[in-house]
Amino acid sequence: MADLLPPLMAAQVDAKTKVDEKVDYSNLPSPVPYEELHREAFMSLKADNFEGLRFDFTKALNQKFSLSHSVMMGPTEVPSQSAETIKIPTAHYEFGANYFEPKLMLIGRVMTDGRLNARLKADLTDKLIVKANAQITNEPHLSHAMFNFDYMGSDYRAQLQLGNSALIGATYIQSVTNRLSLGGEVFWAGVPRKSGIGYAARYESDKMVATAQVASTGAVVMNYVQKISEKVSLATDFMFNYFSRDVTASVGYDYILRQARVRGKIDSNGVASALLEERLSMGLNFLLSAELDHKKKDYKFGFGLTVG
Amino acid sequence: MESTISLKTKGKGKGSKGASSSDDKSKFDFVKEWSNWSLKKAKVATHYGFIPLIIIIGMNSDPKPNLFQLLSPV
Repeated sequence: MADLLPPLMAAQVDAKTKVDEKVDYSNLPSPVPYEELHREAFMSLKADNFEGLRFDFTKALNQKFSLSHSVMMGPTEVPSQSAETIKIPTAHYEFGANYFEPKLMLIGRVMTDGRLNARLKADLTDKLIVKANAQITNEPHLSHAMFNFDYMGSDYRAQLQLGNSALIGATYIQSVTNRLSLGGEVFWAGVPRKSGIGYAARYESDKMVATAQVASTGAVVMNYVQKISEKVSLATDFMFNYFSRDVTASVGYDYILRQARVRGKIDSNGVASALLEERLSMGLNFLLSAELDHKKKDYKFGFGLTVG
Repeated sequence: MESTISLKTKGKGKGSKGASSSDDKSKFDFVKEWSNWSLKKAKVATHYGFIPLIIIIGMNSDPKPNLFQLLSPV
């Protein structure tokens, strides 16, 4: 019968049988970690735009150990009561050391004003990973630390988070079919005494990823990413808070070319932004960033160079 | 300084009620103070020692880099 069908019909029949193949429920793939649920969407929509000059130099001493020197100069925003943003020009130098091993990763960054940013990730066993993240400053009561314990099961992941001012959280995500994973989180914060619960779902295929997340803090986030080709992907995102009634929708793109990567987005708040990373030669990357906020009339441009 | 003064007066007030309850309270306060003290020391140790720790671990990994490579900007 197959040779009597015209070629187009045969192709459609093949595609349909591929999609309907029997799902082996006992052997589902491991889901994406809960905090990386929106990973693909945030790659295009939450690119790190910066303002001013940025220079990063990473020097590798051997395969595992490297030192980094970063200089950043530019206006930084200071929170103010009035509607205008107040910017103060600052310049800082940051020294960092990184150690990467298959089972242990240590990253430390210290700035000229004494602030330390420390990260640690250790694989205690095959399935249990402990991560710690701390920001320590000289001023009292402004430091914080967070410890995460992740357990990876065959088709689920569970995580426990402990934070420094009595913050406890737990997340769980489970693969339900090959493409769909569902998860939830619960947290309790001691200092402003509140607790919250949230749910998330993620559906992915080769060409698209759709995720949705609801939390009892009132935040609802939904996003959709479509991979148009190897080089191009488009993303769209919708966030709203049902208590404060803020709504934001954005559309973004991500072009991965041979020598460059361009990511940009436009927002319903009147913000258009783009980030270009161009590889000038081996190990030398040039960055250009622009963010135009037409509603607040705040225009930010940045340029930088990354070596190593 | 003000907080320590207020703790002392609270302790004196409760001591008059019953010996066992004040013992439990002081044990708990002792554990809290001890954990606060150790967290403060851990914070200072991490603040000063984390980056030197990474450098020591890195300089002892193989292939062992030499001191000149650590200090030179090239």
